[in-house]
Amino acid sequence: MDSSRVAALRWSALLVCTLLSVQARAEDPKPTPENTITVQLAEPVKPQTFARPLKFFLVDVIDRSGNAQPMMVFKPRGGIFLDRTPVEITRAGLETCLKSANMLAADRDSADFLLTIYLFNFGLSDSSMDFFGKVEFAAMLKNPKTAKSQQVAASGTSIAGVAIRKKNIQKNIQEDIERAFSDALRNLLRGAKLRDAVAALDSPANLAPAPARSSAAPAATDKPLF
Amino acid sequence: MKIMALGTLATALLFATPAIAKDTVPQFKSVEAKHFPRAEGVELSPAFSDYLYAELRAELTKAKLFGQVIGEDEVVDEADAPKSLVIVGTIMEYKKGSVVKDALIGFGAGMRSLKVDANVSRRSNQQNLTAIHVHVKVSPRWDEKVMARFAAKNIVKQLKDSLKAEAKTS
Repeated sequence: MDSSRVAALRWSALLVCTLLSVQARAEDPKPTPENTITVQLAEPVKPQTFARPLKFFLVDVIDRSGNAQPMMVFKPRGGIFLDRTPVEITRAGLETCLKSANMLAADRDSADFLLTIYLFNFGLSDSSMDFFGKVEFAAMLKNPKTAKSQQVAASGTSIAGVAIRKKNIQKNIQEDIERAFSDALRNLLRGAKLRDAVAALDSPANLAPAPARSSAAPAATDKPLF
Repeated sequence: MKIMALGTLATALLFATPAIAKDTVPQFKSVEAKHFPRAEGVELSPAFSDYLYAELRAELTKAKLFGQVIGEDEVVDEADAPKSLVIVGTIMEYKKGSVVKDALIGFGAGMRSLKVDANVSRRSNQQNLTAIHVHVKVSPRWDEKVMARFAAKNIVKQLKDSLKAEAKTS
């Protein structure tokens, strides 16, 4: 008698758990055109000028955030989603900025420096009071001629006020992430860290014009091989 | 005739007011706020420094004292350096406070407190323009981010007052 009661209790508990999990799965927000935002730069960030005109080639953007749902930036109230992955947004933003200053190389061979971006954070950071937008990445700068590389970290933050209406929440989050993204790109492209990295990696032969060679003492490379 | 003259005067005033408001040129071309490091023994969440930095930038933008608020370690043209400021600071002290003391005693007992020291200098010659000391006290029930907001507001207010005083003397 008692064992049948216990079994019934167990079965009912299992049923409740199953129902709850089904409900929770049903509550998981899904991207729709209404809750999807487009994050893009309002205007391209103008990179700093270097000692000589340089061309950069964006090799890859790698997501290192460890976020299972990188496109979902806000979970409550039916969720808010990005229209593209943070990797695509970052690539497009960086290429636009470099292209606007004529610093984007067409291919790897014509580039003075290769850029690989490791994306650590893209979206909102935890904050109960307001929307705290944060974009954080590291750029690996590599000189293809010398194969030497150096890492440059960049980050951008922005704060936007909370809202009650879903439409306003969406607008605030979009503006917040756009500002943080623009700030991060500005931090990279106009930062002293990039200037120092370029100065350290740029080969001296490219920096200064090659001195005139005297005919009496030809350089070792000029000697015939055979 | 009088009515017409008064009407003309009112119209002229209406058009002149926005023009006067637009003519205010910022005293400095740019300002750069740095992340404030913590002094030894200050236990705050890792995100606090980022939050204080973001709040400080937001408040500096709102203050409209500067042409632009530039990012940390951003390159500035040498010509603009004399009209560019740098804000560096340290979080000197943080007391977590006590909810029990706040509830039982009140009158400021058990409040959460934060002390921040900042220096504002000119970029070109590192001339120290003003030293800022901020002491913020909030309820221990409030989020530490509220403290960051109050601290940022206080820093910008003191900076604004000091720059105004300097402008008057010069």
